[in-house]
Amino acid sequence: MAAFRDRFAIVGIGRTKVGHLPNYSARLLQAEAARLAIEDAGLKPQDIDGAVNVKGEGGGGPSGGWTDAFPRVLGLPANVYFHVGRGGASAVLGLATAVKFLELGICKYMVIAFGSDGLTRHRQGGGQEETGRPGLWGAPLGDLAAVSHHSFFASRHMHEYGTTSRQLGAISVSERRWACGNPDAYMYGRPITIEDHQNSPYVAYPYHLLDICLVSDGGSAFVLTTAERAKDCAQRPVYTMGLGYGDVMAKLWWDKANYTQLAVAPAKATAFKEAGIELKDVDVAQLYDCFTSEVLFQLEDYGWCPKGEGGHFVEAWNIAPGGTIPVNTGGGLIASHHHGDFTGFLEAVTQLRGEGGARQVKDAEIAMVTGHGGEVIRPGMCSHHACLLLRRG
Amino acid sequence: MAWNKPLPQIDRDMEPFWDALKRHEFVLFRCQECGAWYWPAAFCRNHPNKPLFGSLAWEKASGKGKIFAFNIHYRAFHPGFANDIPYVYALIDLDEGPMFGTRITGCDPKEVHIGLPVEVVYEDITDKYTLPYFQPSKVGAR
Ligand SMILES: [Zn+2]
Repeated sequence: MAAFRDRFAIVGIGRTKVGHLPNYSARLLQAEAARLAIEDAGLKPQDIDGAVNVKGEGGGGPSGGWTDAFPRVLGLPANVYFHVGRGGASAVLGLATAVKFLELGICKYMVIAFGSDGLTRHRQGGGQEETGRPGLWGAPLGDLAAVSHHSFFASRHMHEYGTTSRQLGAISVSERRWACGNPDAYMYGRPITIEDHQNSPYVAYPYHLLDICLVSDGGSAFVLTTAERAKDCAQRPVYTMGLGYGDVMAKLWWDKANYTQLAVAPAKATAFKEAGIELKDVDVAQLYDCFTSEVLFQLEDYGWCPKGEGGHFVEAWNIAPGGTIPVNTGGGLIASHHHGDFTGFLEAVTQLRGEGGARQVKDAEIAMVTGHGGEVIRPGMCSHHACLLLRRG
Repeated sequence: MAWNKPLPQIDRDMEPFWDALKRHEFVLFRCQECGAWYWPAAFCRNHPNKPLFGSLAWEKASGKGKIFAFNIHYRAFHPGFANDIPYVYALIDLDEGPMFGTRITGCDPKEVHIGLPVEVVYEDITDKYTLPYFQPSKVGAR
């Protein structure tokens, strides 16, 4: 990878309230988050000459997305506007694509934004329930929600390594402890114990309700520019260090190892090589946590513990406040809110700016953000993994 | 009772698979050059291919495999499943190699375990569609 380290900077972040916000469209929440991010950077809407719409699905989504767009709502004079998306690996993809427009000098300041009305739609009977794009596998057979197939990860890891539901519960409890230090988290002020996790109803065995991420309305956004321009912005810049990707879609139906691991290896190798650091240099890790097993797999796949020992690692509270590696310090998708990898991305920037309040990790200098996603025909699941390394300015 | 669950959304490349189910046949995509099996439809990974899937054809397969991973749904994410919970949805390691996700029927969910031999069973849900459920293999049938 050429010229990524220290070349670009996140200079502004914005997030609306999260939770149940039935009075606003996803587009307005996205525009509001973008407005907040631009303001945070000390810029004006007129400064923004590029905008990226981060969606769950690249180019798709509701038809309203094609006839109206958040830069129009905000009045941004963007010369460039496009959609990107890869499930929960989309904030990082937004950054990766925006970089090229900055590098070529086409854009000076780009805003990358996400908006969701997922909880409102869920409560109206939509949301997670899916009934049909052509080629979608499994809905008539009962594969109706992400948990319908993502729980295969837990099933396999328990079978191969003896991991227990209580150990997965330790991940949920750890994230809830972090959320209790974050007044913006949906679960703020609501601590839980392992027993609470065990007593929460099964949604799809082996997953209890408390193994599963939240669904959230709200918007998230950030402003990206070059390192040179970042010096003139209002906030302490957060610089890009390394970026890597992995995808196992070609091997999902044959390589059984892909049900107890994620596509971390190539993503890690590329990102850490560019950054010139080692795993032990990471001060805070925002690991994509749609379900507890995804966190467990990443702890093993990145090498914080050996393969198969993630259960013991988390039950010793290594990822909780006061542990050896702070993970999902804002509460993550499980205990704060689900804005895809924007949740971890904005928390990483918050930590590197030293603005984490009660949950601030002392002297956090280097942060890692991961994305996880994909749309491969089920039972293929999410085949995709992204790793972004950031450092404080 | 009339079918009250989602209907299959069939991709053009997979139509022969669904047509075979209607005849109560379980087919997989097989390379005519090296014998490798695929599901869903794919080019053969083992050598150069003829254009547009020309090296492969749908062939009758065993319809047997072993449970590789499974879950038990306690929540109906679609109203049509309200009377079916708890039900088992599983990932099956087919004898021919590919992995296949489907519902396990014909047994108590508590009897399901990883490694359990299973075989296809057909459910005609409408005049147009047949679903491939799997159930525990009959003793001696393997
Ligand atoms: Zn072949």
